[in-house]
Amino acid sequence: MKFGLFYELSVPRPWTRESEKTVYDRAIEQVKLADELGFNSVFAVEHHFLEEYSHCPAPELFLTACAMVTKKIRVGHGIIICVPEFNHPIKIAERTAVLDILSGGRLEVGTGRSATWTELGGFRSNPDETKKTWDEFVRCLPKMWTQERYSYQGRSWSMPQRTIVPKPYQKPHPPMWVAVTSPGTEIDAAERGMGALGLTFGGFKEQEVKVKNYRKIIANCEPVGEVVNDKVTTVNFLYCNEDEATGVKVGGRMTGTFNYLAAQLLAAREAFPSKSYPSLGLLPSLRREAAGPGDESGAPEGICIGSPARIVKQLKSWESVGVDQVNFLLNALETIPQEQVLASLRLFAKEVMPHFQKSSDAAAAAAGGR
Amino acid sequence: MPPRLGNLDLAAFSRFAATMKGYKSDSLVLKGALILEAHMELDDDPADALIPKTMHPSIPAYAIFNVTHYPESPWGAFTIGEIRIAGRTGVRPRGFVLRSYVDNDNAARELGARWGYPVAHGDVSLRQFHDRISGRIRVAGKTVLEIEEIDRESISGNDIQYIASMHLARNKEDDKLVLVQIDPEFTFSKAERGKPRVVALDNDAFGAGSHMKVMNPIGATFATADVTLPKIRYICNPELPAMQGTTKVAA
Repeated sequence: MKFGLFYELSVPRPWTRESEKTVYDRAIEQVKLADELGFNSVFAVEHHFLEEYSHCPAPELFLTACAMVTKKIRVGHGIIICVPEFNHPIKIAERTAVLDILSGGRLEVGTGRSATWTELGGFRSNPDETKKTWDEFVRCLPKMWTQERYSYQGRSWSMPQRTIVPKPYQKPHPPMWVAVTSPGTEIDAAERGMGALGLTFGGFKEQEVKVKNYRKIIANCEPVGEVVNDKVTTVNFLYCNEDEATGVKVGGRMTGTFNYLAAQLLAAREAFPSKSYPSLGLLPSLRREAAGPGDESGAPEGICIGSPARIVKQLKSWESVGVDQVNFLLNALETIPQEQVLASLRLFAKEVMPHFQKSSDAAAAAAGGR
Repeated sequence: MPPRLGNLDLAAFSRFAATMKGYKSDSLVLKGALILEAHMELDDDPADALIPKTMHPSIPAYAIFNVTHYPESPWGAFTIGEIRIAGRTGVRPRGFVLRSYVDNDNAARELGARWGYPVAHGDVSLRQFHDRISGRIRVAGKTVLEIEEIDRESISGNDIQYIASMHLARNKEDDKLVLVQIDPEFTFSKAERGKPRVVALDNDAFGAGSHMKVMNPIGATFATADVTLPKIRYICNPELPAMQGTTKVAA
């Protein structure tokens, strides 16, 4: 099992130029440390207008900054919104290629479609269309990355023949992922040969069923790209402390803050009924799970807060249901001081990661390394 | 910095509050309701004054304009029209009802006494045209709200999610103001979606003054459903955030 970081970049009011900069600076410092400690990747969201909850509308810039101060850690879009009002497909192909070059081939490309009316309404996007445009975009991107000349006449966009340059550093192209929030999206990912970038985690049993289904379908997929990414990740919170009670208390403050922030946003389904959004998406799901019934420590099942021993136990459970990587949120509204976040990362690397080193190495060897 | 909370003028809104005789109300099924609902974004900051401190504003702020016709009830047919301001109690989406107008006085009395609806008498109508659905509230001969759903298209009732309401009411037993949570259940038999249009709106008729500035349209729905008005399970202190001031009054 591998580990990554996951950034929303939440900024508490009052917003000053210093507070915004501090959040970004601290995140980059965390990523730099994570790189030294052996974390596999850092993912950053694309969100717009989500005041306090996420001030990360230009992840490609944040990820570039991360790539410039690190050596090994992979940088990932978690995700790029594949809706024309948000991002033109040509720009996506160009931006990702440049970031892949600048990072020396460390880019992961997560794709998705936004789940809030706050964002979709802000860009005047039609919620009914987002799944369709996502599907169209992810089929175009690999061709735009690999074909010297490219032209396209499609449903939501078109272009005459041009040469899209530069091409990505990784050959044939960077691994592609799909944000999995709505039920059934893991099937979309599997059918297209794309990794399942889980943005909710559900219970262990629910996840196990999803992973099994995913593995079965992806074995016979028709990949949209030239390479199949058959990895499954999930997202979680991380606060690791020698003292269990302190870890649960401080980590619980973070999850509670995240819950509050996420709740204020307007889910697409709440405001605008659409078949395209059968569930409320990431935010309420993650909230529900982070507020679930606690174990003997008082922390919800599956949530990685508390002592190293408790976190190892939770992660072993995630590993047993087939999750390849867990991506961690480290903070929310800066409720945890930076020194404590860094200490938590160090403790995690020292006391928790070794329990998974072997399986991670074996998996890498089996996959021919990456 | 503390989280954003509503800052409703409770004293001003208490004049709309119904008086309830405790919270022991049985659930009631109202069959074949015709429900017209229009969602419109509001100017954010002023709208904080339209929800109590119990609630956080949603981002963006939005209003729910609702006109519902109940063809049968223990008090006869009635039509109710109201405006709710969407927000959150803790982490749950809720709509604070500014004021409800009802065209049947017996129904109004029971809705106020048993579920805390902030009721007043009005001539409320729901009209179906081939090109639109129209809901209107008239008070003393003046139209105070008229909404429409246009560009109608059929959808599944499963795609509709109505959020629970919060009613500012007064408990007769202790004369205190409370927020009563009403979370009806809906069994849909027909549903459609369209574009919302606010044809007429008198803010003062809903106590909204200059705080309700309608901005961007979101969507409108028109549905036929059996509606179950529930037993009251939760009440909140309107002067405290929901996390601190929520009381469970029934299982």
